[in-house]
Amino acid sequence: MKPPPLEAAGAVALPRPPLTHEDAKRSHDRRRVHRARTGGRRWHLLWLLVGPGILAMLGENDGPSMISYATTGATYGLGFFLPFIVLTFAMAVVCQEMSMRVGAVTHRGYGQLVLQRFGATWGWFAAGDLLFTNLVTLIAEFVAIRVGMAYFHLGAPLAAALGVVLVIFTLSGGRYWRWERIVLGMAVFNGLFIPAAILAKPHWGAVGHAFATFSPFPSGGFNTLLLLVASTIGATVTPWMIFFQQGASADKGMTPRDVRLGRVDTAVGGVLAAVFGCAALIAGAALAGHGGASIQGLAGAGFPAALRAVSGPAVGTIFALALIEAGAVAILTISASTGYAAGECIGVAHSFNNSPRRATLFYGANVGVALIAAAVILIPGAPLLSIALNANVLATVLLPVTLVFMIMLANDRHLMGDWVNRPAVNRIAVAIVGFISICGAAYGIDSFLQSTHVF
Amino acid sequence: MLHDDTISESQEDQDFYLEHDQFVIDKQRPVPRAHLSRRATVALWALRVFVVAVSAMVIYTFVTQIAH
Repeated sequence: MKPPPLEAAGAVALPRPPLTHEDAKRSHDRRRVHRARTGGRRWHLLWLLVGPGILAMLGENDGPSMISYATTGATYGLGFFLPFIVLTFAMAVVCQEMSMRVGAVTHRGYGQLVLQRFGATWGWFAAGDLLFTNLVTLIAEFVAIRVGMAYFHLGAPLAAALGVVLVIFTLSGGRYWRWERIVLGMAVFNGLFIPAAILAKPHWGAVGHAFATFSPFPSGGFNTLLLLVASTIGATVTPWMIFFQQGASADKGMTPRDVRLGRVDTAVGGVLAAVFGCAALIAGAALAGHGGASIQGLAGAGFPAALRAVSGPAVGTIFALALIEAGAVAILTISASTGYAAGECIGVAHSFNNSPRRATLFYGANVGVALIAAAVILIPGAPLLSIALNANVLATVLLPVTLVFMIMLANDRHLMGDWVNRPAVNRIAVAIVGFISICGAAYGIDSFLQSTHVF
Repeated sequence: MLHDDTISESQEDQDFYLEHDQFVIDKQRPVPRAHLSRRATVALWALRVFVVAVSAMVIYTFVTQIAH
Protein backbone atom coordinates (compact mmCIF):
# COMPACT_ATOMS: atom_id res chain seq x y z
CA MET A 1 0.00 0.00 0.00
CA LYS A 2 2.93 2.33 0.59
CA PRO A 3 3.84 4.26 -2.56
CA PRO A 4 7.15 3.58 -4.24
CA PRO A 5 10.04 5.60 -2.82
CA LEU A 6 10.76 8.84 -4.59
CA GLU A 7 13.80 7.24 -6.20
CA ALA A 8 11.34 5.29 -8.32
CA ALA A 9 10.04 8.58 -9.69
CA GLY A 10 13.53 9.67 -10.72
CA ALA A 11 14.85 11.37 -7.59
CA VAL A 12 18.48 10.68 -6.67
CA ALA A 13 19.19 8.52 -3.61
CA LEU A 14 21.49 10.10 -1.03
CA PRO A 15 23.35 8.57 1.90
CA ARG A 16 21.65 8.64 5.35
CA PRO A 17 21.42 12.34 6.18
CA PRO A 18 22.33 14.26 9.30
CA LEU A 19 19.35 14.37 11.67
CA THR A 20 17.81 17.66 12.68
CA HIS A 21 15.99 18.92 15.74
CA GLU A 22 12.83 18.95 13.63
CA ASP A 23 13.34 15.23 12.94
CA ALA A 24 13.87 14.55 16.64
CA LYS A 25 10.69 16.35 17.72
CA ARG A 26 8.59 14.73 15.03
CA SER A 27 10.06 11.36 15.92
CA HIS A 28 9.07 11.93 19.55
CA ASP A 29 5.45 12.45 18.49
CA ARG A 30 5.58 9.46 16.17
CA ARG A 31 6.91 7.25 18.98
CA ARG A 32 3.72 7.92 20.96
CA VAL A 33 1.64 7.04 17.89
CA HIS A 34 3.67 3.86 17.42
CA ARG A 35 3.20 2.81 21.06
CA ALA A 36 -0.54 3.52 21.00
CA ARG A 37 -0.91 1.49 17.82
CA THR A 38 1.16 -1.46 18.95
CA GLY A 39 -0.49 -1.36 22.39
CA GLY A 40 -3.95 -1.56 20.85
CA ARG A 41 -5.07 1.68 22.51
CA ARG A 42 -7.40 2.80 19.74
CA TRP A 43 -8.95 5.82 21.43
CA HIS A 44 -5.55 7.11 22.48
CA LEU A 45 -4.34 6.62 18.92
CA LEU A 46 -7.30 8.61 17.63
CA TRP A 47 -6.58 11.35 20.18
CA LEU A 48 -2.98 11.54 19.00
CA LEU A 49 -3.88 11.69 15.32
CA VAL A 50 -6.83 14.08 15.30
CA GLY A 51 -6.00 17.71 14.67
CA PRO A 52 -5.42 18.89 11.10
CA GLY A 53 -8.89 17.90 9.89
CA ILE A 54 -10.83 19.36 12.80
CA LEU A 55 -8.71 22.51 12.76
CA ALA A 56 -9.17 23.00 9.01
CA MET A 57 -12.94 22.60 9.31
CA LEU A 58 -13.47 24.60 12.48
CA GLY A 59 -10.90 27.14 11.33
CA GLU A 60 -13.10 27.64 8.29
CA ASN A 61 -16.10 28.18 10.59
CA ASP A 62 -14.46 31.55 10.93
CA GLY A 63 -15.65 35.07 11.54
CA PRO A 64 -16.74 35.93 7.98
CA SER A 65 -18.33 32.50 7.58
CA MET A 66 -20.40 32.84 10.72
CA ILE A 67 -21.33 36.42 9.79
CA SER A 68 -22.24 35.12 6.34
CA TYR A 69 -24.43 32.34 7.81
CA ALA A 70 -26.08 34.76 10.23
CA THR A 71 -26.65 37.24 7.39
CA THR A 72 -28.27 34.48 5.36
CA GLY A 73 -30.51 33.55 8.27
CA ALA A 74 -31.38 37.19 8.95
CA THR A 75 -32.14 37.79 5.27
CA TYR A 76 -34.03 34.64 4.32
CA GLY A 77 -34.92 32.94 7.61
CA LEU A 78 -34.92 29.16 7.94
CA GLY A 79 -35.00 27.38 4.61
CA PHE A 80 -32.82 26.37 1.68
CA PHE A 81 -29.51 27.51 3.17
CA LEU A 82 -29.65 25.19 6.20
CA PRO A 83 -29.25 21.95 4.20
CA PHE A 84 -27.07 23.85 1.73
CA ILE A 85 -24.52 24.42 4.51
CA VAL A 86 -24.45 20.67 5.18
CA LEU A 87 -24.00 20.03 1.46
CA THR A 88 -21.06 22.42 1.23
CA PHE A 89 -19.36 20.79 4.20
CA ALA A 90 -19.81 17.41 2.54
CA MET A 91 -17.93 18.93 -0.42
CA ALA A 92 -15.28 20.22 1.98
CA VAL A 93 -14.77 16.75 3.46
CA VAL A 94 -14.08 15.31 -0.02
CA CYS A 95 -11.53 18.05 -0.78
CA GLN A 96 -9.86 17.98 2.62
CA GLU A 97 -9.57 14.20 2.65
CA MET A 98 -7.49 14.47 -0.51
CA SER A 99 -5.18 17.06 1.01
CA MET A 100 -4.75 14.99 4.19
CA ARG A 101 -4.00 11.86 2.17
CA VAL A 102 -1.46 13.60 -0.10
CA GLY A 103 0.25 15.14 2.94
CA ALA A 104 0.40 11.83 4.81
CA VAL A 105 1.71 9.86 1.82
CA THR A 106 4.23 12.36 0.42
CA HIS A 107 5.14 14.12 3.72
CA ARG A 108 5.17 17.35 1.74
CA GLY A 109 2.97 20.43 1.59
CA TYR A 110 0.69 21.46 -1.26
CA GLY A 111 2.76 24.47 -2.35
CA GLN A 112 5.96 22.46 -2.43
CA LEU A 113 4.43 19.69 -4.53
CA VAL A 114 2.73 22.02 -7.03
CA LEU A 115 5.91 24.02 -7.45
CA GLN A 116 8.17 21.00 -7.91
CA ARG A 117 5.80 18.79 -9.86
CA PHE A 118 4.20 21.35 -12.20
CA GLY A 119 6.79 24.13 -12.28
CA ALA A 120 7.50 27.47 -10.66
CA THR A 121 4.80 29.34 -12.60
CA TRP A 122 1.95 27.24 -11.21
CA GLY A 123 3.54 27.04 -7.79
CA TRP A 124 3.81 30.79 -7.47
CA PHE A 125 0.33 31.32 -8.87
CA ALA A 126 -0.97 29.02 -6.13
CA ALA A 127 1.04 30.83 -3.48
CA GLY A 128 -0.09 34.22 -4.85
CA ASP A 129 -3.76 33.18 -4.75
CA LEU A 130 -3.28 31.98 -1.21
CA LEU A 131 -1.49 35.08 0.01
CA PHE A 132 -4.12 37.35 -1.53
CA THR A 133 -7.15 35.47 -0.20
CA ASN A 134 -5.47 34.91 3.16
CA LEU A 135 -4.81 38.62 3.61
CA VAL A 136 -8.40 39.53 2.77
CA THR A 137 -9.75 36.70 4.93
CA LEU A 138 -7.51 37.62 7.86
CA ILE A 139 -8.80 41.17 7.70
CA ALA A 140 -12.29 39.69 7.91
CA GLU A 141 -11.25 37.61 10.95
CA PHE A 142 -10.13 40.73 12.76
CA VAL A 143 -13.45 42.30 11.71
CA ALA A 144 -15.28 39.44 13.42
CA ILE A 145 -13.27 39.88 16.61
CA ARG A 146 -13.92 43.60 16.46
CA VAL A 147 -17.67 43.05 16.00
CA GLY A 148 -17.70 40.64 18.93
CA MET A 149 -15.66 42.88 21.21
CA ALA A 150 -17.66 45.97 20.26
CA TYR A 151 -20.60 44.26 21.95
CA PHE A 152 -18.64 44.49 25.21
CA HIS A 153 -17.70 48.10 24.44
CA LEU A 154 -14.10 47.16 23.66
CA GLY A 155 -12.45 49.00 20.81
CA ALA A 156 -10.70 48.05 17.59
CA PRO A 157 -7.14 48.45 18.97
CA LEU A 158 -7.84 45.80 21.58
CA ALA A 159 -9.30 43.48 18.94
CA ALA A 160 -6.21 43.93 16.77
CA ALA A 161 -3.88 43.39 19.71
CA LEU A 162 -5.72 40.25 20.85
CA GLY A 163 -5.35 38.60 17.45
CA VAL A 164 -1.65 39.39 17.10
CA VAL A 165 -0.83 38.38 20.69
CA LEU A 166 -2.61 35.05 20.17
CA VAL A 167 -0.54 34.33 17.06
CA ILE A 168 2.71 35.12 18.90
CA PHE A 169 1.67 33.13 22.00
CA THR A 170 0.75 29.97 20.09
CA LEU A 171 3.94 30.14 18.04
CA SER A 172 6.14 30.12 21.11
CA GLY A 173 7.35 26.69 22.06
CA GLY A 174 8.77 25.32 18.83
CA ARG A 175 6.50 22.26 18.78
CA TYR A 176 3.80 21.33 16.30
CA TRP A 177 2.01 19.28 18.97
CA ARG A 178 1.79 22.23 21.38
CA TRP A 179 0.49 24.59 18.70
CA GLU A 180 -2.11 22.08 17.53
CA ARG A 181 -3.43 21.30 21.01
CA ILE A 182 -3.73 24.97 22.00
CA VAL A 183 -5.68 25.80 18.85
CA LEU A 184 -7.84 22.67 19.22
CA GLY A 185 -8.67 23.73 22.77
CA MET A 186 -9.75 27.13 21.52
CA ALA A 187 -11.71 25.64 18.62
CA VAL A 188 -13.99 23.76 21.04
CA PHE A 189 -15.66 27.09 21.79
CA ASN A 190 -16.94 27.23 18.20
CA GLY A 191 -19.75 25.21 19.78
CA LEU A 192 -20.99 28.39 21.47
CA PHE A 193 -23.15 28.94 18.42
CA ILE A 194 -25.31 26.00 19.55
CA PRO A 195 -26.55 27.59 22.80
CA ALA A 196 -26.99 30.86 20.89
CA ALA A 197 -29.26 29.04 18.43
CA ILE A 198 -31.21 27.21 21.15
CA LEU A 199 -31.72 30.33 23.26
CA ALA A 200 -32.95 32.20 20.18
CA LYS A 201 -35.99 29.87 20.37
CA PRO A 202 -36.25 28.90 16.71
CA HIS A 203 -39.27 27.14 15.27
CA TRP A 204 -37.87 23.59 15.29
CA GLY A 205 -40.57 22.40 12.92
CA ALA A 206 -39.34 24.92 10.36
CA VAL A 207 -35.77 23.70 10.92
CA GLY A 208 -36.81 20.11 10.25
CA HIS A 209 -38.85 21.14 7.21
CA ALA A 210 -35.88 23.04 5.77
CA PHE A 211 -33.58 20.02 6.11
CA ALA A 212 -36.16 17.67 4.66
CA THR A 213 -37.17 19.75 1.66
CA PHE A 214 -34.44 22.36 0.94
CA SER A 215 -37.23 24.92 1.18
CA PRO A 216 -38.53 27.53 1.31
CA PHE A 217 -36.26 28.62 -1.50
CA PRO A 218 -35.11 32.21 -0.93
CA SER A 219 -36.90 34.96 -2.76
CA GLY A 220 -35.66 38.47 -3.40
CA GLY A 221 -32.80 39.94 -5.44
CA PHE A 222 -30.99 37.48 -7.69
CA ASN A 223 -27.61 39.12 -7.09
CA THR A 224 -28.00 39.01 -3.30
CA LEU A 225 -28.91 35.35 -3.56
CA LEU A 226 -25.84 34.66 -5.72
CA LEU A 227 -23.67 36.56 -3.24
CA LEU A 228 -24.92 34.43 -0.37
CA VAL A 229 -24.59 31.17 -2.31
CA ALA A 230 -21.03 32.06 -3.32
CA SER A 231 -20.10 33.26 0.15
CA THR A 232 -21.63 30.15 1.73
CA ILE A 233 -19.46 27.98 -0.52
CA GLY A 234 -16.49 30.22 0.30
CA ALA A 235 -17.35 29.73 3.95
CA THR A 236 -16.74 25.99 3.72
CA VAL A 237 -14.12 25.24 1.08
CA THR A 238 -11.18 27.59 0.58
CA PRO A 239 -7.59 27.57 -0.74
CA TRP A 240 -6.07 28.05 2.73
CA MET A 241 -7.72 24.86 4.00
CA ILE A 242 -5.99 22.83 1.30
CA PHE A 243 -2.59 24.37 2.07
CA PHE A 244 -3.16 24.08 5.80
CA GLN A 245 -4.35 20.49 6.11
CA GLN A 246 -1.74 19.08 3.76
CA GLY A 247 1.05 21.09 5.41
CA ALA A 248 -0.16 20.26 8.91
CA SER A 249 -0.54 16.55 8.10
CA ALA A 250 3.07 16.49 6.89
CA ASP A 251 4.26 18.58 9.83
CA LYS A 252 2.46 16.32 12.28
CA GLY A 253 4.32 13.39 10.75
CA MET A 254 1.31 11.47 9.47
CA THR A 255 2.01 8.42 7.33
CA PRO A 256 -0.10 6.22 5.06
CA ARG A 257 -0.92 4.03 8.10
CA ASP A 258 -2.66 7.06 9.62
CA VAL A 259 -4.88 7.82 6.63
CA ARG A 260 -7.88 5.92 7.99
CA LEU A 261 -7.92 7.93 11.22
CA GLY A 262 -7.06 11.05 9.23
CA ARG A 263 -10.35 10.48 7.42
CA VAL A 264 -12.13 10.20 10.76
CA ASP A 265 -10.48 13.45 11.85
CA THR A 266 -11.63 15.19 8.66
CA ALA A 267 -15.17 13.79 8.83
CA VAL A 268 -15.59 14.69 12.51
CA GLY A 269 -14.38 18.20 11.73
CA GLY A 270 -16.86 18.44 8.87
CA VAL A 271 -19.79 17.30 10.99
CA LEU A 272 -18.92 19.65 13.87
CA ALA A 273 -18.43 22.58 11.51
CA ALA A 274 -21.73 21.90 9.73
CA VAL A 275 -23.63 21.71 13.03
CA PHE A 276 -22.06 24.90 14.36
CA GLY A 277 -22.56 26.70 11.03
CA CYS A 278 -26.24 25.74 10.96
CA ALA A 279 -26.52 26.99 14.54
CA ALA A 280 -25.15 30.40 13.49
CA LEU A 281 -27.74 30.57 10.72
CA ILE A 282 -30.56 29.54 13.07
CA ALA A 283 -29.48 32.20 15.58
CA GLY A 284 -29.35 34.81 12.80
CA ALA A 285 -32.78 33.74 11.57
CA ALA A 286 -34.27 35.15 14.77
CA LEU A 287 -33.72 38.54 13.13
CA ALA A 288 -35.51 37.64 9.89
CA GLY A 289 -38.76 39.29 10.90
CA HIS A 290 -37.06 42.22 12.56
CA GLY A 291 -35.24 43.99 9.72
CA GLY A 292 -32.35 41.53 9.85
CA ALA A 293 -31.57 41.96 6.17
CA SER A 294 -30.55 45.56 6.77
CA ILE A 295 -27.94 44.87 9.44
CA GLN A 296 -24.60 46.30 8.36
CA GLY A 297 -22.12 45.15 10.96
CA LEU A 298 -20.64 47.96 12.97
CA ALA A 299 -22.34 50.56 10.80
CA GLY A 300 -25.69 49.39 12.11
CA ALA A 301 -26.53 47.62 15.33
CA GLY A 302 -24.33 44.61 14.55
CA PHE A 303 -25.48 41.02 14.92
CA PRO A 304 -24.79 40.51 18.64
CA ALA A 305 -26.54 43.73 19.61
CA ALA A 306 -29.46 43.00 17.28
CA LEU A 307 -29.79 39.51 18.73
CA ARG A 308 -29.77 40.94 22.24
CA ALA A 309 -32.64 43.24 21.30
CA VAL A 310 -34.69 40.46 19.70
CA SER A 311 -33.79 37.29 21.64
CA GLY A 312 -32.40 38.55 24.91
CA PRO A 313 -29.01 39.49 26.38
CA ALA A 314 -27.81 35.89 26.77
CA VAL A 315 -28.06 35.25 23.01
CA GLY A 316 -26.30 38.50 22.17
CA THR A 317 -23.49 37.80 24.63
CA ILE A 318 -22.95 34.20 23.53
CA PHE A 319 -23.03 35.16 19.86
CA ALA A 320 -20.47 37.92 20.49
CA LEU A 321 -18.16 35.51 22.35
CA ALA A 322 -18.56 32.92 19.61
CA LEU A 323 -17.65 35.47 16.94
CA ILE A 324 -14.49 36.38 18.87
CA GLU A 325 -13.58 32.69 19.10
CA ALA A 326 -14.31 32.06 15.43
CA GLY A 327 -12.11 34.95 14.35
CA ALA A 328 -9.31 34.04 16.76
CA VAL A 329 -9.02 30.38 15.75
CA ALA A 330 -9.11 31.28 12.07
CA ILE A 331 -6.38 33.88 12.52
CA LEU A 332 -4.15 31.11 13.88
CA THR A 333 -4.90 28.53 11.18
CA ILE A 334 -4.84 30.97 8.26
CA SER A 335 -1.57 32.51 9.48
CA ALA A 336 -0.18 28.98 9.71
CA SER A 337 -1.23 28.19 6.13
CA THR A 338 0.55 31.37 5.00
CA GLY A 339 3.69 30.28 6.83
CA TYR A 340 3.56 26.80 5.29
CA ALA A 341 3.05 28.21 1.79
CA ALA A 342 5.88 30.74 2.14
CA GLY A 343 8.35 28.14 3.42
CA GLU A 344 7.32 25.48 0.90
CA CYS A 345 7.54 27.75 -2.14
CA ILE A 346 10.80 29.44 -1.16
CA GLY A 347 12.25 26.12 -0.05
CA VAL A 348 13.23 26.91 3.52
CA ALA A 349 12.28 25.38 6.87
CA HIS A 350 8.51 25.44 7.43
CA SER A 351 7.59 23.54 10.54
CA PHE A 352 6.27 24.33 14.00
CA ASN A 353 8.85 21.79 15.15
CA ASN A 354 11.54 24.34 14.39
CA SER A 355 12.47 27.28 16.54
CA PRO A 356 11.92 30.80 15.13
CA ARG A 357 15.68 31.10 14.68
CA ARG A 358 15.75 28.04 12.41
CA ALA A 359 12.55 28.86 10.51
CA THR A 360 12.59 32.63 10.39
CA LEU A 361 10.51 32.96 7.22
CA PHE A 362 7.85 30.52 8.45
CA TYR A 363 7.38 32.34 11.73
CA GLY A 364 7.79 35.76 10.08
CA ALA A 365 5.02 35.01 7.56
CA ASN A 366 2.77 33.76 10.38
CA VAL A 367 3.11 36.98 12.34
CA GLY A 368 3.52 39.32 9.35
CA VAL A 369 0.14 38.62 7.70
CA ALA A 370 -1.60 38.89 11.06
CA LEU A 371 0.04 42.28 11.67
CA ILE A 372 -0.99 43.61 8.25
CA ALA A 373 -4.58 42.44 8.67
CA ALA A 374 -4.73 43.88 12.18
CA ALA A 375 -3.60 47.26 10.87
CA VAL A 376 -6.43 47.37 8.30
CA ILE A 377 -9.24 47.13 10.86
CA LEU A 378 -7.84 50.17 12.60
CA ILE A 379 -8.64 52.28 9.51
CA PRO A 380 -11.66 54.44 10.40
CA GLY A 381 -14.75 53.87 8.24
CA ALA A 382 -13.52 50.68 6.57
CA PRO A 383 -16.48 48.73 5.05
CA LEU A 384 -16.10 45.82 7.42
CA LEU A 385 -19.18 43.65 6.68
CA SER A 386 -18.63 44.07 2.94
CA ILE A 387 -15.01 42.93 3.38
CA ALA A 388 -16.17 39.91 5.37
CA LEU A 389 -18.68 38.77 2.73
CA ASN A 390 -16.42 39.50 -0.25
CA ALA A 391 -13.52 37.63 1.36
CA ASN A 392 -15.57 34.43 1.10
CA VAL A 393 -16.61 35.20 -2.48
CA LEU A 394 -13.00 35.80 -3.54
CA ALA A 395 -12.00 32.51 -1.96
CA THR A 396 -14.77 30.78 -3.94
CA VAL A 397 -13.69 32.38 -7.21
CA LEU A 398 -10.02 31.42 -6.82
CA LEU A 399 -10.72 27.96 -5.45
CA PRO A 400 -11.16 25.98 -8.72
CA VAL A 401 -7.47 26.28 -9.68
CA THR A 402 -6.38 25.12 -6.23
CA LEU A 403 -8.77 22.17 -6.38
CA VAL A 404 -7.72 21.12 -9.88
CA PHE A 405 -4.09 20.84 -8.77
CA MET A 406 -5.23 19.03 -5.63
CA ILE A 407 -7.04 16.46 -7.78
CA MET A 408 -3.99 16.14 -10.05
CA LEU A 409 -1.71 15.52 -7.07
CA ALA A 410 -4.13 13.01 -5.55
CA ASN A 411 -4.12 11.12 -8.87
CA ASP A 412 -0.35 11.25 -9.34
CA ARG A 413 0.76 7.64 -9.13
CA HIS A 414 4.44 8.61 -8.96
CA LEU A 415 3.76 10.44 -5.71
CA MET A 416 0.84 8.49 -4.30
CA GLY A 417 1.38 4.90 -5.40
CA ASP A 418 -1.72 2.90 -4.48
CA TRP A 419 -3.11 5.84 -2.55
CA VAL A 420 -4.38 7.64 -5.67
CA ASN A 421 -8.02 8.72 -5.85
CA ARG A 422 -10.63 6.11 -6.55
CA PRO A 423 -12.75 6.82 -9.67
CA ALA A 424 -15.80 7.68 -7.57
CA VAL A 425 -13.82 10.30 -5.62
CA ASN A 426 -12.61 11.80 -8.90
CA ARG A 427 -16.14 12.07 -10.24
CA ILE A 428 -17.33 13.82 -7.08
CA ALA A 429 -14.28 16.09 -6.99
CA VAL A 430 -14.71 17.16 -10.62
CA ALA A 431 -18.41 17.85 -9.99
CA ILE A 432 -17.44 20.00 -6.99
CA VAL A 433 -14.97 22.02 -9.09
CA GLY A 434 -17.64 22.56 -11.77
CA PHE A 435 -20.28 23.58 -9.25
CA ILE A 436 -17.98 26.01 -7.44
CA SER A 437 -16.75 27.51 -10.74
CA ILE A 438 -20.30 28.14 -11.92
CA CYS A 439 -21.43 29.69 -8.63
CA GLY A 440 -18.39 31.97 -8.38
CA ALA A 441 -18.62 33.03 -12.02
CA ALA A 442 -22.37 33.65 -11.81
CA TYR A 443 -21.97 36.07 -8.93
CA GLY A 444 -18.85 37.73 -10.40
CA ILE A 445 -20.39 38.31 -13.82
CA ASP A 446 -23.84 39.31 -12.58
CA SER A 447 -22.54 41.78 -10.02
CA PHE A 448 -20.06 43.20 -12.53
CA LEU A 449 -22.80 43.79 -15.10
CA GLN A 450 -24.96 45.43 -12.45
CA SER A 451 -22.19 47.69 -11.24
CA THR A 452 -21.42 48.77 -14.83
CA HIS A 453 -25.17 49.37 -15.33
CA VAL A 454 -25.41 47.01 -18.27
CA PHE A 455 -28.50 45.53 -16.55
CA MET B 1 21.44 26.07 7.08
CA LEU B 2 20.66 22.43 7.66
CA HIS B 3 24.04 21.74 9.26
CA ASP B 4 23.37 24.33 11.98
CA ASP B 5 20.29 22.34 12.87
CA THR B 6 21.76 18.88 13.16
CA ILE B 7 21.49 17.09 16.48
CA SER B 8 24.26 15.69 18.62
CA GLU B 9 25.63 12.16 18.22
CA SER B 10 24.12 11.04 21.54
CA GLN B 11 20.68 12.05 20.33
CA GLU B 12 21.36 10.36 17.03
CA ASP B 13 21.75 7.07 18.84
CA GLN B 14 18.09 7.17 19.86
CA ASP B 15 15.52 5.18 17.95
CA PHE B 16 13.80 7.24 15.31
CA TYR B 17 10.19 6.61 14.49
CA LEU B 18 10.14 8.26 11.08
CA GLU B 19 9.67 6.71 7.66
CA HIS B 20 12.57 6.65 5.25
CA ASP B 21 11.27 9.62 3.25
CA GLN B 22 10.06 11.59 6.27
CA PHE B 23 13.36 13.07 7.44
CA VAL B 24 13.92 16.77 6.76
CA ILE B 25 16.74 16.13 4.32
CA ASP B 26 14.60 13.63 2.40
CA LYS B 27 11.74 16.07 2.15
CA GLN B 28 14.11 18.66 0.72
CA ARG B 29 14.92 16.47 -2.27
CA PRO B 30 12.79 17.80 -5.13
CA VAL B 31 10.29 15.47 -6.73
CA PRO B 32 10.71 15.12 -10.48
CA ARG B 33 8.78 17.40 -12.76
CA ALA B 34 5.55 15.96 -14.18
CA HIS B 35 4.94 15.99 -17.89
CA LEU B 36 1.77 17.89 -18.73
CA SER B 37 0.18 17.25 -22.10
CA ARG B 38 -0.50 20.21 -24.37
CA ARG B 39 -4.23 19.85 -23.77
CA ALA B 40 -3.75 19.85 -20.01
CA THR B 41 -1.54 22.92 -20.17
CA VAL B 42 -4.05 24.80 -22.33
CA ALA B 43 -6.89 23.78 -19.99
CA LEU B 44 -4.96 24.96 -16.93
CA TRP B 45 -4.16 28.31 -18.54
CA ALA B 46 -7.79 28.71 -19.59
CA LEU B 47 -8.89 28.05 -16.00
CA ARG B 48 -6.29 30.48 -14.72
CA VAL B 49 -7.45 33.25 -17.09
CA PHE B 50 -11.05 32.51 -16.15
CA VAL B 51 -10.53 32.86 -12.41
CA VAL B 52 -8.40 35.98 -12.79
CA ALA B 53 -11.11 37.58 -14.96
CA VAL B 54 -13.88 36.70 -12.49
CA SER B 55 -11.71 37.85 -9.56
CA ALA B 56 -11.20 41.19 -11.30
CA MET B 57 -14.99 41.52 -11.68
CA VAL B 58 -15.56 40.75 -8.00
CA ILE B 59 -12.90 43.24 -6.93
CA TYR B 60 -14.27 45.89 -9.31
CA THR B 61 -17.76 45.40 -7.89
CA PHE B 62 -16.43 45.58 -4.34
CA VAL B 63 -14.56 48.83 -5.04
CA THR B 64 -17.61 50.29 -6.79
CA GLN B 65 -19.80 49.43 -3.80
CA ILE B 66 -17.37 51.15 -1.46
CA ALA B 67 -17.22 54.24 -3.69
CA HIS B 68 -21.01 54.52 -3.49
